[in-house]
Amino acid sequence: MTDFDVPDSLMYTREHEWALLVGDAVRIGITDYAAKTLNDVVYVSLPPIGRTVERSVTFGSIESIKAVSELYSPYSGTVSKVNSELASHPELVNASPYRQGWLMEIIASNLEDERAGLLSPTEYEGFLSSLGK
Amino acid sequence: MLKRTPLYEYHIQHGKMIEFAGYDMPAWFTSISDEHLAVRNGAGIFDVSHMGRVNVSGRQSGAFIESLVPTSTTSQPPGKSFYTLMLNSGGGIIDDLIIIKRPEGYLLVINAANRTKDLEHILSHSSDFDVAVEDITDSTTMIAVQGPSAVRALQPLTTTALSEIKKFMHADSVVGSARATITRTGYTGEDGFEVILHRSGIDDNSAALSVWGDLAERTKPCGLGARDSLRIESGLPLYGNDIDETTNPVEADLQWVISREKKGYVGAESVTREMTSPPRRLRRGVVLDDKIPRQGFAITNATGDRIGEVTSGSFSPILKKGIAMAYLDLPFAQVGQLVKVLVRNSPTDGKVVKPPFYDQRLYGWKRTAQQNI
Repeated sequence: MTDFDVPDSLMYTREHEWALLVGDAVRIGITDYAAKTLNDVVYVSLPPIGRTVERSVTFGSIESIKAVSELYSPYSGTVSKVNSELASHPELVNASPYRQGWLMEIIASNLEDERAGLLSPTEYEGFLSSLGK
Repeated sequence: MLKRTPLYEYHIQHGKMIEFAGYDMPAWFTSISDEHLAVRNGAGIFDVSHMGRVNVSGRQSGAFIESLVPTSTTSQPPGKSFYTLMLNSGGGIIDDLIIIKRPEGYLLVINAANRTKDLEHILSHSSDFDVAVEDITDSTTMIAVQGPSAVRALQPLTTTALSEIKKFMHADSVVGSARATITRTGYTGEDGFEVILHRSGIDDNSAALSVWGDLAERTKPCGLGARDSLRIESGLPLYGNDIDETTNPVEADLQWVISREKKGYVGAESVTREMTSPPRRLRRGVVLDDKIPRQGFAITNATGDRIGEVTSGSFSPILKKGIAMAYLDLPFAQVGQLVKVLVRNSPTDGKVVKPPFYDQRLYGWKRTAQQNI
């Protein structure tokens, strides 16, 4: 068991992102572990709507005063929505990484095949434990 | 194993620890932003015990220090604390430091990372002088109390009237139960004090921990993260980032520490040469419209020609914008100049400013001094 919140309803990646199916789209964010490690999000750089993203490829960055963290997409697809609240309230990522701090939504282009590469909540918790967290 | 300051016991219980200059230090306690804003709006405390503290005493200590720095020393009044530089013979900066001028000699406060180098430099130049040089780092603790409420925060711990210690002055005192030297200096741009606690008797950290614990009831404990974001926002250089042995005081925008008439100090000939013509480049501030600049990012003009480089980058919680300290080629170092900062290769608009980045009517020690008149 880790000290970090890992909701049962989501899927995860080793880059500490989560994915949630919301209708046709996949909503994406960073995990509680990632948010706590960064601690103090002051800036989020997200792609424009319509941009194509690829699984495991950088699509943006999330920054604290001291550190930059690259963001990697769990799925390939096209950006359909971004969380515009984050421009003026980046701290939402720390306060609520799984809800109000969501980053973007994409229409996945290869959902079935790519889903197999994601981690279940239990697998992600195991991954965190293996990092000594 | 990493070195520990006398306040380590508090830090491991409350702070997010990182390595800095060989020490195990807190990067933050709550969040860098919260700690940063607490200092600008109230008061914060910093453990700066890792910085080197060197006593220079003896019959010729005045003449010796005079030969070591470009700032006139013996003409400074007693009770003074002043910022200066030690230069190498080429005029490059060996370290920046505070010198506390005491009745019995000079107390030098130097960067933790340069402690060995500085001591070698000091000792190698001391042989012609009747002086004693003593590294008192490990027998002292140093706590910075910074912010507009610093006087109110520290006063309960001492009978010395803190409002009587003017900016860039110091007093010998007792703080808590420890003999102390209190200087009205700091690395945040705000009013405040740096308190050196002299440890008496054997290895006992309880007096220092007690002072820190008492201060923590009236102030916000702050880590190295906020220390860095505050000093960048104030325009204060960090050795290793913004100044080093390849930068001279003129291009580093620290020309003011040079006493023009002074000769005979280490590096004096080079400095005289540097002062006869404009520098090739100049240290300035840059504010970005968007994104956060980081150390090493290139700066270009509108047509993409490289004109400079970011030496320190951060996000200003006051401006809510990315800010940088940078060296710019002289033609582009004018305040108001528009530049492009390559943020991970993406050109981002920026404007050249003369720090501090905050409005000095609203923040900084000058506004506190104004309010106290």
